[in-house]
Amino acid sequence: MRTPGQQLLLLGLGSVLAIALIMALLSWASGGSGAGAGVDPETGTITLVLDTEPPQMNSSLSADAISGRVLGHIMEGLTRQDANNELVPGVAERWEVTESGATFWLRNDAKWSDGKPVTAHDFVFAWRNTVDPNSASEYANIMFGIRNAEAISAGKLPLTALGVTAVNDRELRIEFANPVPYFARMTSFSTFYPIREDFYRSTQGRYASSADTLLYNGPFVMERWVHGAHIRLVKNPRYWNRDEIKLNVIDFPYFTTDGNTIINLFRDGKIAMADIGQQNIQEAQLQGWTINSFSEGALFYVEFNHRPGHVTRNRNFRKAIQYALDSSEEVNRVIKIPGYAPGRSLFPEWLDGVDDSFRKEYPVREVSPDWDKAREHLELARKELGLERFPPIMLLTGDSPVANKVSEYYQETLKQALGLEVRIDVQIFKQRLAKMLAGDFDLVMAGWSADYADPLAYGELFHSANAQNRGRYRNPEMDRQIAIARTSTDPRTRMDAFGRIQDIVVDDAVILPEYERGRLYVVDPALSGLVRRVVGFDPDFTYARIVDKVSQ
Amino acid sequence: MTMNSSPDPALMPGAFAPIAREQSVHRLSRPSLSYWQDAWFRLKANRRAILSLWIIIAMLLFTVLGPLFWRVDPAAQDLQQISSPPGANRSVVIVEPYRPWAEAPAAPSEPGLDVAAPPTTQQVRLVWTPMPGAADYRVYRNIVPVKQGGALGVPLGTSGSADVTHYEDRMDLKPGVAFYSVLALDANGAALPAVFTRRIEVANAITLAEAKARAMVKADDGLGVGDQIQYRLHPLGTDYLGRDMLARLMQGARVSLFIGIVAPTIFVLFGVLYGSMAGFLGGRIDQVMMRFADFVIALPFLLFMILFKIAFGIGPGESGILPMIVAMVILLWPATARLVRGQILQVREEAYVNAARLLGARTNYLVLRHMIPNTFGVILVTLTFAIPSAIFTEAFLSFIGMGVAPPTASWGSMSNDGIKSMLISPHELFLPALMISITVLAFNLLGDGLRDALDAKMRSRE
Repeated sequence: MRTPGQQLLLLGLGSVLAIALIMALLSWASGGSGAGAGVDPETGTITLVLDTEPPQMNSSLSADAISGRVLGHIMEGLTRQDANNELVPGVAERWEVTESGATFWLRNDAKWSDGKPVTAHDFVFAWRNTVDPNSASEYANIMFGIRNAEAISAGKLPLTALGVTAVNDRELRIEFANPVPYFARMTSFSTFYPIREDFYRSTQGRYASSADTLLYNGPFVMERWVHGAHIRLVKNPRYWNRDEIKLNVIDFPYFTTDGNTIINLFRDGKIAMADIGQQNIQEAQLQGWTINSFSEGALFYVEFNHRPGHVTRNRNFRKAIQYALDSSEEVNRVIKIPGYAPGRSLFPEWLDGVDDSFRKEYPVREVSPDWDKAREHLELARKELGLERFPPIMLLTGDSPVANKVSEYYQETLKQALGLEVRIDVQIFKQRLAKMLAGDFDLVMAGWSADYADPLAYGELFHSANAQNRGRYRNPEMDRQIAIARTSTDPRTRMDAFGRIQDIVVDDAVILPEYERGRLYVVDPALSGLVRRVVGFDPDFTYARIVDKVSQ
Repeated sequence: MTMNSSPDPALMPGAFAPIAREQSVHRLSRPSLSYWQDAWFRLKANRRAILSLWIIIAMLLFTVLGPLFWRVDPAAQDLQQISSPPGANRSVVIVEPYRPWAEAPAAPSEPGLDVAAPPTTQQVRLVWTPMPGAADYRVYRNIVPVKQGGALGVPLGTSGSADVTHYEDRMDLKPGVAFYSVLALDANGAALPAVFTRRIEVANAITLAEAKARAMVKADDGLGVGDQIQYRLHPLGTDYLGRDMLARLMQGARVSLFIGIVAPTIFVLFGVLYGSMAGFLGGRIDQVMMRFADFVIALPFLLFMILFKIAFGIGPGESGILPMIVAMVILLWPATARLVRGQILQVREEAYVNAARLLGARTNYLVLRHMIPNTFGVILVTLTFAIPSAIFTEAFLSFIGMGVAPPTASWGSMSNDGIKSMLISPHELFLPALMISITVLAFNLLGDGLRDALDAKMRSRE
């Protein structure tokens, strides 16, 4: 007989051994499922993390960044952006853009992954699908520069009225509703990718729901798509520019947004690239990784509700909040992520003006925080509104860690500076958009990233007829300046208009810029040629290649 | 067997005499104890349970009396001391108020990187000599020394052009040593080999205005720029917005213990009434009542929590404490009711109850004298186990954002906030999690001890 102590010891040892055996079996099993090294020079494979399952892989309907990232590698539009973010020919070998329209001539060797040529008809079909009111694409409005697109999308005209015609298989002609000087650049965007009609019909409504219900014309094709778990892209042997593509496989065996998981995968050499969150910055420095920063170009701001019945309609009230908050303190002390830049203007720093950057040509009027001035404005607002006390202010915000932190910071700052009671309304993204649309807020923390590289992408946000103007700001002078920027073809006149829009936004406190979002990330030193960009899909691995670590 | 013919002399009649009658009978019984005295006696013998009781009392004192002694606003944000751990260095120098850096500074006399002003946690102003071929410069900061050809650390930003050879860093400055580097970039933004690196000692600094706003400096104590002062004391450190952890833990305890005690008390009471009624009445009424209890058990708690929140007209940004209590009371009583009913069914058939009934006891007497006291053990134990589960439920609901509204803290919401920065400031998660764990453990151990103490059957075994 053993004593109870010995029995316990044996039992403990036995269970430890059993657990070790199970773990060994599990790791062996997972090793067999294909998740290999982050960068594998022998097979030309890179392994990456994808945030989530791509929600919509039908290019004519897709509106999110995750699907856009995958689509950007497997599809190609008329034009594309190269490694230096310059516009280069894609399916079209040349093009011509005038004030009234554009013509694209397609190359002969552009092929679908089944070997058939890509024709002008494929673009007509895809673009009509986008503006089709029955398909309800969220991005239909990006096509509104094309003649009749808006009316078709509203159901007032038939699809065939869209100002896009295939003159023959190799020539595509577009008529504009109004001048769109940046149209060629827009055609590199995923909404403008082609879709072949006969293939689309053959999938019987299941187009883009799996790897074999998609037809590819980009540098890669999707070899494997296990929903919610794994996406594998392999080089497209029929791509016209295949010699320039160095990678053989881009593998996404992990779908996660958890920062710690991603960092652990990177540390173990399982993935080739990782984003670094605020809690991992220290770790990355201690590991001695080369940290890169990238400004996403997205502007985040506090938007006021200008609808009647909200105190935020009062200009002095908005000025009071403008003087009370400090975007520099917010970014440097509360958010604390290097790469974030304090917001000062409606127009982010990366936008180009006439010769130099827009912000250098048209410096923004600085408003430095001043609580005394803030209180003066609040007193004026109190008198104008005839209020004894201000009602609680509803601050609508998202559910991200940064949004939570910042909204609590605002809550306390506005209480200290102005004695206002702020209630925080945390909502998930979809619900927040619905509430913004319904005007169910006083202040909302909103963000905007441009779909095309022109100041108009930001400048027209607060036009009284713009659906994205969630606060319903109305100002005839603003509308007049936007009209100038939209219709003028002279760069100087347009930039002057944007300069005035920038001033109105500050003087009238239409919104309060918070920050321009940036990202820190690390890349495996063996991977080179990764492209990050503000407009268009990001990150871009099309031109990436694997280099010898020793030669670094 | 053989008979002894000669009688034993010891058994002669003269050997027997009556002994003296004893004055008192030896007492074998223990002192007479009532049920409660006996329970208390046994509880006292259970050291774990008594320790738990003391911990619970200490928690209640911490909650009720704590805020009277530690008068710090739990919502006040001290942005100078964000996420500072307990026992952080508090000495700080008063400096001039921050002014944007307008004038271009003079380049350092020797080639390399230098500071244009004493580096403080308000700002670090870097200036460097131009590097050949540079079209732009990128500034890095590192917490470990930069090795030759190694990583430079965190990229802070670029100077913007070749002419600008200075940079101001205000990003999350911490007192201590930092290693700054400036890297030359070519026209395409690619790195050139030229790098300047410098070890810079950053002093802890506060502006006079901020010091006054935090009441660290009073108008009459004559302190000014250049003087050394002490930060406000935060014994348990601060959270991600520089709020005092001790004050927040006290506020959180108020919320957590309030819910933890009020909700279980109400639903256990209701469960006792319901269960004893069902058990005592029996028959078809019992069947109907218990099937209704089963129905209530099947209702999803979270869904009802959300429904009540809407039904009560509680908008976003308002506290969800009331609907939480209501949801708990309405949905969690059946467990107690079931237990008590089972107990009553058992007690009802006991011989002493029948005896009492034969002796003419009325229903009231039976229930109050025989039934309830005999189920009391079960009731008290249910209550002490319901309290920690309610605290956990509150923590969980606040964790997913259904509970208290900011800036009010509860232990659950504090844990939720703390988990995001678990790796860099563990105290933000550790402290509230510790409080939840200790409280829940104390209530559980006390419940355990009470069960042993109140079980009348245990009495005979000692």
